[in-house]
Amino acid sequence: MILAYNLLSMILPTDPSEQHGGGGDELMHHVLDHDVVHLPTVLGIDLTISYHTIMMWIASALLLIFLTPLFRKKQIVPHGRFAHTIEAIVEFLRQDIIYNYIGKEGKKFEKYLLTVFFFILMNNLMGLVPAGAAATSDISVTVTLTLLTLSTILGAGMRHNGLFGYWKGLIPGGVPGWLVPVLFPIEILGLIAKHFALAMRLFANMTAGHITILSLIGLVFTFKSYYIAPAPVIVAATIGVLEVLVAFLQAYIFTLLSGVFIGAAVHQDH
Amino acid sequence: MDLLTPDTGLMFWTVITFAILYFVLGKFVWKPVGEVLDERETRLKNSLAKAEEAQKSAEEALVKNKEMLENARAEVQGLISKGKKTAESVREEIMTEARNEAAALIERARKEVRLEQDKALDEIRKLAVELSISATQKVIGKALSDKEHQQLVNQSFKDLGELN
Repeated sequence: MILAYNLLSMILPTDPSEQHGGGGDELMHHVLDHDVVHLPTVLGIDLTISYHTIMMWIASALLLIFLTPLFRKKQIVPHGRFAHTIEAIVEFLRQDIIYNYIGKEGKKFEKYLLTVFFFILMNNLMGLVPAGAAATSDISVTVTLTLLTLSTILGAGMRHNGLFGYWKGLIPGGVPGWLVPVLFPIEILGLIAKHFALAMRLFANMTAGHITILSLIGLVFTFKSYYIAPAPVIVAATIGVLEVLVAFLQAYIFTLLSGVFIGAAVHQDH
Repeated sequence: MDLLTPDTGLMFWTVITFAILYFVLGKFVWKPVGEVLDERETRLKNSLAKAEEAQKSAEEALVKNKEMLENARAEVQGLISKGKKTAESVREEIMTEARNEAAALIERARKEVRLEQDKALDEIRKLAVELSISATQKVIGKALSDKEHQQLVNQSFKDLGELN
């Protein structure tokens, strides 16, 4: 964290007249979460509602408002562009991820993976809205999603391969007996690392985009010149367009990897 | 708050929010969408199979139709040639009949002409006899006896027969 702060301070030349350490601080203030409604701590959990919490709720509310009324009536013939788009995305995820990597057991994980995709996508897109913020650029949210995926994987693996069978299946077949004590911790570490990477990937991708855009916009105020201003704004707008792609891409990647991990846990022999 | 330190409060709210989304969207969106997509798939498959079947039967019908058409054409061709043959024979028959009839007619006409000719000749002969008798009477001035008369007549008949 301190490293990141120092790096940003180095990138953005600070005005010596400013007292708070300059643009870096200002920038981090935009990237970091801040409390909105203070609530008491219950059982060690600080229930305080932060800006990211509210953004997450807005994203979720939008999902509920737009998606829930769409398929109240079952229609075999497609209806409307929006419903069509949602159907196309759902069908793509089903064919490309769920049934492709998990197989016919994928039906059980369909709801989870679809919810993950749309939850992440909507939250990612919230980061592109003015005054908005992507809850997925908060490590708390991505770690929670990863823990949900991990528990899904462990549950699915142990249900399909037996309580002990799953852990035994983590070690590749044909390994000599004396290697098992060495390999088992490695496999456990690998399992943790895979999911840690899942959380970090989403968090870093979303945060990096915001920091890039904020840094570019920050250049305008650093140079304090009308002649310099258009260049950073144009580049920031371009990065903003790229961010739309990243929003979809990261939601897809998170869902894809979750699907692949679930598939690997269900079919351990492959 | 730190960039890389997970905040338990936000984690808690994330779990709650995600759980609500999971159940509500799962029940009202993913389930119907999945059912619709599955049903559409089976329906498409069924209708495609049906269409294929229909096409196959249509093709069969087409082949059958072609066969029938070919048969009908051959039959008609046969009928036409048969009719032509019949007409030809009928024509031939009628022609020969007509020819025969015409020949018969001509024959009859010829006979009649000969008859008339004979009759006319007879009359001419009678007239010639009478004329010669009256002429002789005038020349001789008197009637001949029956015996002489007969002789003269026979003589002139003989002459006429020679002339004839």
